Amino acid sequence: MIDLIIFLSLLALGYGFGRHAENRHYASIIKREKKLRKLPAIAARTPTELSKPNDSCLVVGSVVISVDYFKRFISVLRNLVGGRVTSYESLVDRARREAVLRMKEQAQAMGADLIFNTKFETAGIHQGNGNQIGSVEVLAYGTAIIPAQQN
Amino acid sequence: MEYSNPEIPEGINTSKGHPLKEFIWLTSGVLASIFAVILLLVVFVDALTSYIPFSVEKEIPLPEFEVGITEGPLPEYLQSLADRIIEVEGLPDEMDITVHYVGDGTVNAFATLAGHVFLFRGLLEKLPNENALVMLMAHEIAHVKHRHPIKSLGRGLIAGLALSVISTTAGDAVISNFLGEAGYLTILKYSREMESEADETAIKALQSIYGHLAGAEDLFKAFQDEKVGLEPPEFFSTHPLTDDRIAEMRNAAEKYAQDNKVTPLPSEFKTWLLTDEK
Repeated sequence: MIDLIIFLSLLALGYGFGRHAENRHYASIIKREKKLRKLPAIAARTPTELSKPNDSCLVVGSVVISVDYFKRFISVLRNLVGGRVTSYESLVDRARREAVLRMKEQAQAMGADLIFNTKFETAGIHQGNGNQIGSVEVLAYGTAIIPAQQN
Repeated sequence: MEYSNPEIPEGINTSKGHPLKEFIWLTSGVLASIFAVILLLVVFVDALTSYIPFSVEKEIPLPEFEVGITEGPLPEYLQSLADRIIEVEGLPDEMDITVHYVGDGTVNAFATLAGHVFLFRGLLEKLPNENALVMLMAHEIAHVKHRHPIKSLGRGLIAGLALSVISTTAGDAVISNFLGEAGYLTILKYSREMESEADETAIKALQSIYGHLAGAEDLFKAFQDEKVGLEPPEFFSTHPLTDDRIAEMRNAAEKYAQDNKVTPLPSEFKTWLLTDEK
């Protein structure tokens, strides 16, 4: 009986905080993406024809986002029956977009006007026991094109 | 090469649908399958355990057999009651009942494998007359008659096995615990059916020994006095709720109501309880 109460409280906590954090994060992502729309990050391996002299620099953005108890519970049940793990979809979506944003913020601070060869790395951060992924890391990196300073 | 930077619509990489809806569907689906699987296993196990000869039960060693005493005036008196009950309940010849008296204040009594029945001082002290005592013993002996101890063992084993497989798949300790409890509750439901079956047999035995059912209610009252604090909801408890059992008992008593004179316990009974303490 006490186990059930602990379990339900964990679920409720996970759902409440997780949902709140996710909504807030999405709001922040959408706002910052609008602001950084003028700085494109493209996947092409070589930049489009450059008309003026440029500097280039590696830019990196990385983020680690943790799963909440509610999402984990849904994913565990999904393990039993199969199907889309929808509870993790929004988690990795947020991580990818946040990583790109951080990369772009770094590029913007350098005065870049384009990032090309954008790539992603992801890693599950395990909690040591079992095969449960506790948090997910997404690393976005690319080459920023910085117009040369006109002296 | 032309490069354009269109605004990407929101939500293309995530699923719509409310997470709570998915939660309800998944949880109810998984729990329903666990119930179904365990119920099926229990049905199979019950069908198979009735083919286990009683003599095999006797070969299963259980350490708790050393706890009770079987000799002295009180165990002998209890054994003589048991012999009368065995006769009216019609136990097969190979089913011997051994009554053990445990000099412990716990309000409890149980029947286990190979016809060993354990009666605790704490419960015996609360019984006001012989009829209640016979009701108690008839209930425990009925468990043996219906092969309940071996069935419970079989159910426990098979359900434990099934649940450990599910838990291993789940991986998370708390979640597998939750799924385990769900399966365990299924077993409990079945245990309550065993209790009702034993009650029914015991009532019949009481009726044939004394010709009436007076005093049987006192047994459940003894249990009722004992309950402390919160009583768990019926779903969580092995025994049907005491109140329900008293009500059932009253119905049965009214049905057979004749001469309601209870038989007193032997006058030495209280002294035995005090002196036979180990």
